[in-house]
Amino acid sequence: MEEKKPLLEIENLEVVYQTDEATVHAVNGISFSLNEKETIGLVGETGAGKTTTALTILRLLPERTGRVLGGKILFHGENLFEKTIPEMRHVRGAEISIIFQDPMTALNPALTVGDQVLESLEIHNTAGKSKEELNARVDELFNLVGIPAERKKEYPHQFSGGMKQRIVIAIALACAPQLLIADEPTTALDVTIQAQVLKLMETLKSELGTSMIIITHDLGVVAETCDKVAVMYAGEIVEAGTAEDIFNGAVHHPYTVGLFNAIPNLDEKTERLNPIDGLMPDPANLPEGCKFGPRCPHCMEECRQGAPYLYKENEHRILCNLYRKEVNDEKLG
Amino acid sequence: MKNLVETVDLKKYFTVGTNRQLHAVDGINLEIPEGQTLGVVGESGCGKSTLGRVVMGLLPATSGQINLDGQDIVSCSKREFKKVRRKVQMIFQDPYSSLDPRMSIYELIAEPLIMNKVYSSNAEVLRRVQELMETVGLAERYINSYPHELDGGRRQRIGVARALALNPKFIVCDEPVSALDVSIQAQILNLLMDMQRDLGLTYLFITHNLAVVKHISDVIMVMYLGQCVEIAPSDELFANPKHPYTQALLDAILKPVLGSDKERKLIRGEVTSPIDPPAGCRFAKRCEHCRPECTGRDLKLVDLGDGHKVACVLAGS
Amino acid sequence: MSKEKEVLKTGQSKIKKKSRSQETWRRFRKNKLALFGMILFAVILLVTILADVIVSYDVSVTQVASERLQSPSASHWFGTDNYGRDLFARIVHGSRNSLLVGFGSVIIGVTLGGMLGAVCGYLGGRFDAIVMRVLDSIMCIPTTMLALAIVAALGTSLGNVLMAMTISSVPRYCRIIRSSVLGVTGQTYIEAAHSCGTPDFQIILKHVLPNAIGPIIVQATMAVGSAIISAAGISFVGMGIQPPAPEWGAMLNEARTYMTMYPYMVLFPGLAIGFTALSMNLMGDGLRDALDPKLKD
Repeated sequence: MEEKKPLLEIENLEVVYQTDEATVHAVNGISFSLNEKETIGLVGETGAGKTTTALTILRLLPERTGRVLGGKILFHGENLFEKTIPEMRHVRGAEISIIFQDPMTALNPALTVGDQVLESLEIHNTAGKSKEELNARVDELFNLVGIPAERKKEYPHQFSGGMKQRIVIAIALACAPQLLIADEPTTALDVTIQAQVLKLMETLKSELGTSMIIITHDLGVVAETCDKVAVMYAGEIVEAGTAEDIFNGAVHHPYTVGLFNAIPNLDEKTERLNPIDGLMPDPANLPEGCKFGPRCPHCMEECRQGAPYLYKENEHRILCNLYRKEVNDEKLG
Repeated sequence: MKNLVETVDLKKYFTVGTNRQLHAVDGINLEIPEGQTLGVVGESGCGKSTLGRVVMGLLPATSGQINLDGQDIVSCSKREFKKVRRKVQMIFQDPYSSLDPRMSIYELIAEPLIMNKVYSSNAEVLRRVQELMETVGLAERYINSYPHELDGGRRQRIGVARALALNPKFIVCDEPVSALDVSIQAQILNLLMDMQRDLGLTYLFITHNLAVVKHISDVIMVMYLGQCVEIAPSDELFANPKHPYTQALLDAILKPVLGSDKERKLIRGEVTSPIDPPAGCRFAKRCEHCRPECTGRDLKLVDLGDGHKVACVLAGS
Repeated sequence: MSKEKEVLKTGQSKIKKKSRSQETWRRFRKNKLALFGMILFAVILLVTILADVIVSYDVSVTQVASERLQSPSASHWFGTDNYGRDLFARIVHGSRNSLLVGFGSVIIGVTLGGMLGAVCGYLGGRFDAIVMRVLDSIMCIPTTMLALAIVAALGTSLGNVLMAMTISSVPRYCRIIRSSVLGVTGQTYIEAAHSCGTPDFQIILKHVLPNAIGPIIVQATMAVGSAIISAAGISFVGMGIQPPAPEWGAMLNEARTYMTMYPYMVLFPGLAIGFTALSMNLMGDGLRDALDPKLKD
């Protein structure tokens, strides 16, 4: 097996949104790493801190409220927090780019789609390529995402949702970034179109060797695309591991179990679904101890006190006291 | 079992530009027996939401019949319609935009009661609001809260309470869980199914989520560009889809299981325009089995027995 | 079912429902600036009502040749003007005309324009198109010109000035309300109200207007000050309130010539208009926020 090089390492990242009324703890000390040519899925529900994590990587947090309290984000071994603003501007787009959820609003309605792709090429045109070369690259990108290059003179409203998402992907890929962050890339799309777009992303990954972070709430999307998975809850990664660990592993965090059980199963007839009791905690007012404690069917006395135990086995991590005694973990940890 | 809701050749066209017609709903026949759920699936723009709004009288039908509890609401007078109206209610997709942000929870749930002059005294209205809140599982302390203070799941419970306020027989659910997180989605689906069991409600359940529709529906109708391409009992539809579009739709479902990386049969292209569509199968352009006889004339639904009907030239052969 | 239910208190409920006006007042009260605006406005209103008690009307119109252009002093708090009239008395008595024109034109203008705009935005279609074209053509004429033309045609009187100013301001309010109503009618909660059988009229009253009212409150409170000034413009060309009757805007006009030498002549009527506008503005902002439950606490 070839030696994998880590592309992105996040260590103990902590992010809050500071407003006049409250401090919202959006991300509470998460760590994960992503190797080249790998795809990691960040899974979780609204308010789990997935999008905040993505914005922090690009240092795009809202200036007035967003604060990074601690931690490091290493990209190629360099801490992104130590970069100057012009350096960061180069990283964005040229090395790391992001696709947002809603393709309908991500494009400027007053510019042709070709110009919008060209624009991102021009901004990062450090090699001083000629106009013709850039235009040729635009055509190439359109072909890559499966849109005939003749349509580059059209405006966004002339395209359907799936086509727009392809254009957004073309813009994101314009400068051949090493890391692509996709924030709910298919949520706004229809099922058949979703399948097409995921297929496209899969192809791009294998052709271009881009690493990806896919942010989603849909476990189906994760199963389809990801090598690694991190399940987020209330700003923490409660379970992480390879896709194999998450989907077929023997032990899981109770929240992961809950997520799987809440989805209607297509293969069996069930009378009732099993929702997770209660609600997401208020991120401005998180519970003591395990954040999932109040909703957890296995909640014990010790869960309400300190931070929960971190279970480790190979790459599989579970943040839960249930597994404290199970494995002889000193050896592994 | 008696059908509570029936439509006969229901059409809803919108005029676009000067003289062109957008065929949003084009000749739908449906029957929903009392106490059952008809699921309607299809992609955005297939007319499923319009169908729901026409069936409950929010939009006037272009032609056809809608029989609600034995009364045709397309041809009846305004006064007769007003009487029937109370039997039909709707639950909306987005609990964030379907509740007036300036109204308290009490005002929101009381609105249908007050507007229809169900009770003569405020005390009775208050009692009914409290009762409804309990039915849908909302704690009483939220009575003075405003929608923005609650999460999506609780907001949708308000939507359900509003729909139940007038003791309807029939509820049109337009994507009631699409805007919710999975764990909350399950709570609302359970609530809807409990309501159906306890109150004998009949649902028209509109969604694009196939797993949800299979879970809640007795019969499922697949719509494509305003037409019904296939209708069957839900297990039968999933086990034995006949229409190429249904097959592609089911094939595109992403299951949360590893190793289902089978080659998907992706449908080519995108949905064609619903404006003045030519006669013939509307899926023909994207269909891999398309033959000459698919175009030129409209296809009828072919009955395959056991309530399974499909509009495709391949069926029966 | 039981599992998902919230924990409900058993027995009789102790939670009372609160009425909307109580809630609005409670939120308004919390806003110190708005409260200050309200007190300021109350003071101004009190002065207007009690004008005759404070100082006799005669003082405000009596010209004393020997006391022309005096600076503020114990006998003339705000000084005197070029005719030797006491400015304090003129401001106190001028408040009646000024407030009447200022508030009158804005309140009537907002009410008419608002209702018309709400109906247009809600109904749309041909009615909307016709009304909007008519209003657009009115809007083409400069406001002051239009007001002057109306007063010239109908004759000089306070009532006519009021009417002229109202007519010329209606189109603007109508446009503002219509555009915010258009935004609101697209919302699903309007459809939701239809679906539970709420009649159109009630929908406009209960859902559309409360949600569309924000921009107009701010506009209207800012317009009070400028309405007082435009009324002065009409007075200036001799078609508004007839001299020697006191009126703030007219006082400002008269003071123009003496501004560099006797700044107090501009200062006091200016302050009077300014404070009135300020009180309205603070109250308006507070009211808008108090009506919006999202900004609660």
